[in-house]
Amino acid sequence: MLRRLIKTCTVRTLGPFRPLSSVQKIENKISTVENSSEIIDPRLVSNSDNLNENPPESSVLQPCKEDISYVAPYLRPSFNFAAYVNKSHTLQQLLKLGVRLYKWEKNQEVPPYILQLDFDKDIKSYIIFLTDLGLQTEDLGKLIEKNPFIFKEDLENLQVRINYLKYKKFTDEMILRIVQDNPMWLSFSTQDIDKKLGFFQKSFSLTGNEVRSLTARKPRLITYDIEHIKLNMFVIKEEMGFTPEEMKQIVLQTPKLFMNNQHRILKTFEYIHKEMNIPLETIVKMPQVLTCREFRIKQRHQFLQKLGKLQFDTKKPNYISLITLVSGSDAHFATEVAGSSIHAFNAFLKTM
Amino acid sequence: MLIKDAPVIWDSLRSIICVYKPPNVTCQRVRQTIITAVCTGLNEMECRPPMDYVSIEGNPSTQLTVTVKPNLADHPLVVGPRYQIEDLKCSWSNYLGLHSSGVLLLGLRNGTKAAKLIRENRPTRSYRVSGRFGEATENGFKNEKVVERSTYKHIKHANINKLLAAMQASHQKEMFKSCGVDLQSQTAYEMACEGPIRPADSKLPVIYGIKCVQFEPPDFVIEIQCINEYETYLKSLIHEIGAKLRSTAHCTGIQCIRHSYFTLENALLRKHWTLQHIITNMEECIAIIDEHENLVKQKKAALQ
Repeated sequence: MLRRLIKTCTVRTLGPFRPLSSVQKIENKISTVENSSEIIDPRLVSNSDNLNENPPESSVLQPCKEDISYVAPYLRPSFNFAAYVNKSHTLQQLLKLGVRLYKWEKNQEVPPYILQLDFDKDIKSYIIFLTDLGLQTEDLGKLIEKNPFIFKEDLENLQVRINYLKYKKFTDEMILRIVQDNPMWLSFSTQDIDKKLGFFQKSFSLTGNEVRSLTARKPRLITYDIEHIKLNMFVIKEEMGFTPEEMKQIVLQTPKLFMNNQHRILKTFEYIHKEMNIPLETIVKMPQVLTCREFRIKQRHQFLQKLGKLQFDTKKPNYISLITLVSGSDAHFATEVAGSSIHAFNAFLKTM
Repeated sequence: MLIKDAPVIWDSLRSIICVYKPPNVTCQRVRQTIITAVCTGLNEMECRPPMDYVSIEGNPSTQLTVTVKPNLADHPLVVGPRYQIEDLKCSWSNYLGLHSSGVLLLGLRNGTKAAKLIRENRPTRSYRVSGRFGEATENGFKNEKVVERSTYKHIKHANINKLLAAMQASHQKEMFKSCGVDLQSQTAYEMACEGPIRPADSKLPVIYGIKCVQFEPPDFVIEIQCINEYETYLKSLIHEIGAKLRSTAHCTGIQCIRHSYFTLENALLRKHWTLQHIITNMEECIAIIDEHENLVKQKKAALQ
């Protein structure tokens, strides 16, 4: 397995791990040293070890009564967490939450930061804060995995951001949904979130309630890259030809469309509008079809064309709506919608 | 799936699969999709549990306790899923261009050797190429700008057949010339007696059979049986047909319908690219290879 070599840890950050089995002794020393400095320099701690206080006359051949189980070489730099996980209480607790540690190895900055955290001191308070909001264990694991730098934020800042949402009349369920679905939300400052919500309100001319329902529906859209959203807006307004009111309907029905790749949705749109000759008004009523991949629509449309069962006029019998064309499995489509069999559909697919 | 053990399935993936490559998708993407599908399928099954970790704890001067725990350093959440995409070898036996669709042979793990042998044995392939008279485009395919327009009303089915028969005959002549043996020798005569032969060169496209199966002006479909071909060659062939018939033509679709003994029936559609289907497909392909040994090992230069 090839993993990029991540230069993770210096001896300094590994210091807390060295005397791991004699935790009690360290705690005693920590309580004495705490008054002087917040960050405990492990070398300070180790200097007052029992080992150095041995009387100089004793020889190595005399039986030793002290507990020397913690004497071990320094932990060396490694390119994965597996080297430390058996000895680190913090990493083991994170494992219990279901965090996938191997995902962090890709980012060069995360492992050195995580390895110098202590579960009881740094992480626990955040977990208590998040479970107070209503997050379950699996969601906690997902959030920490996607956003490990949440532990860098001050707890007061996090509380301020939650209070801001409450002030903007978001209900508790909405706030829970936002934190569940968008792990990065809490890392944005209140001003940033305010700006982004304002951008959406202005560009799509949404009311307060609509902004709230949009955020609860797709929290990731609000913190998405603004340039990408502006590009998709351009594609939908200028290149596809929808009016601003129609674009507002689209964003409220399928917000995910603004996070999609514009080439992909443009290809689908071109096929639906030009080859299938579906007018814009029909597409606005069901914008989910624009999220479908072009080849799927093409396959089904051409199959119906071959059978002669195309009917997109609402007033005529055997009308097939765009949604029924696109949704459902192939078996369902072949039997219910096209009135044929799945074997005929598969045989048709092999001629494309 | 009856077997739940992922290592057993991993060991059994040692042959080729026959896949239906969709149009407008590169071979590389097909390969990546298949590898990902196999790896995700294997990781969902029962994989190897973490190894045991023997930990000796306690005060050495009093009492030491030995405990055996599962090794967290081997846990899938720490180290990653058991089957990684980079570990699965997959290579194709014949290359289909972006616009071609049809039968594509992929070899998984040890099957890469079989795929290579099949490729080097140069089996014949059958294509259905559809074209359209009246327009010539920049690259010979329908997606580019039209460069030239001409009439095609004078073209009849008989004209096309005559042209294609002449093409086939000239290719047969070339084929004998490129057999790698001196044309005046006895060996060449014996080879010619056995029937069509394989060319010695692996870069020269040779057409063994070409026929027009559908003609609804301006559209037409021809079936070609050939060796050593590539996508641009087939597109230029259509262009040449148009030129020879005193009109213009461009290609609207290329489909590989047969690759030696593997036909469209054995090919796996895109929606069936999952582990279960891939395994059943592999078993079918193994049966085909066992039945026809000359796929992998050639004994004569003659076409079989």
